Amino acid sequence: MLKKAKLESLFKWGVRWSLWPVHLVTSCCGVEVAHASGPGFDAERWGVLPFHTMRQSNVIIVEGTVTRKMAKVLKQVYEQMPEPKYVIAMGACAVRGGLFWNSYHVVQVDTVVPVDVYIAGCPPTPEAVIRAFMMVHNKIKGKPGPYVEPVKVDLTQFLPPPPKPPAKPAPQQVQQAPAA
Amino acid sequence: MAAKLPPKCPPRGDHPLLEKVKQTLGGAVLNHGVTPEGHLCVLVPLDKIRDVAAAVKNMGFDHVLSLSAVDYAAEGRFLVTYIFASYLTPELRSQLLHIRAEIPRDNPKIASIADIYPSADYEERECHEMFGIWFEGNPHMGKRFLLDPDCCVDEKTGKPLYPLRKDYKVPDWGLTG
Repeated sequence: MLKKAKLESLFKWGVRWSLWPVHLVTSCCGVEVAHASGPGFDAERWGVLPFHTMRQSNVIIVEGTVTRKMAKVLKQVYEQMPEPKYVIAMGACAVRGGLFWNSYHVVQVDTVVPVDVYIAGCPPTPEAVIRAFMMVHNKIKGKPGPYVEPVKVDLTQFLPPPPKPPAKPAPQQVQQAPAA
Repeated sequence: MAAKLPPKCPPRGDHPLLEKVKQTLGGAVLNHGVTPEGHLCVLVPLDKIRDVAAAVKNMGFDHVLSLSAVDYAAEGRFLVTYIFASYLTPELRSQLLHIRAEIPRDNPKIASIADIYPSADYEERECHEMFGIWFEGNPHMGKRFLLDPDCCVDEKTGKPLYPLRKDYKVPDWGLTG
């Protein structure tokens, strides 16, 4: 029992630091993913190595618009990947349809494959891509949730107080016509 | 209040190609104008489009850059626009020639120019798929080219629907909420 628990934690540690994504570049978000793996941001510091075959990788980044034709390819690619596998929907088009939200030929990614992390933006920055991988890390650790907790700020320190609503005008007295 | 429709031919103006085009096309010029970008635009009758294409090829325009249509649903017409350009003729490299033709909406048929201009083949197939215009003489009419085979099909009759027509309604796939 103890051995199994130890092995499982070792297994999770291994998965966590070798998240190899497939490039499914359907749109312009692929440029930002390439940027995230370049020397400027160097996502390989977190074990993110873009790989060329889906059978040896465990993350799929859907980079952009998915048309109905591409949805079949996406499903095929997803089914060929070994377990455990994670899906990141990147950009406004993959999340909600984006610019093409009421088009005749565009589908939402989560109607095709189960999505683990959504990245908002058009296109998202490379930092956002790395943050999505951190969220996958947290999910493997067993603590899913947002990577960045929102911080509450008291805005009255920086901003002038909001203007008061105008006072209601006093109800006018209706002058009664003098009785004839 | 009715929406203002875009004009079918831009306003007239001076253009260096105008005299030559009038001479070459003869009586096929119904109307002509100059687009805001400075390109010549000619409206020609529907049944002379093949003669016009052959004449334009003799002038030195060697490929079709674009082919698109506009759906004037209120008038019951399609306006098809061919844009010709040239790689090989040096004095025409800065010019684009717009050729337009009107098609009735209830019988949308026009002669194909794919054997004169091979570059018009894909454009005609895409235009057929999006607007339902039948290019007579193109062997690929009636087939799916860019669209998914399951998409844009009438569920009751099984006939194809044309998504860029004005009367097409996008089905609710849960994206519009």
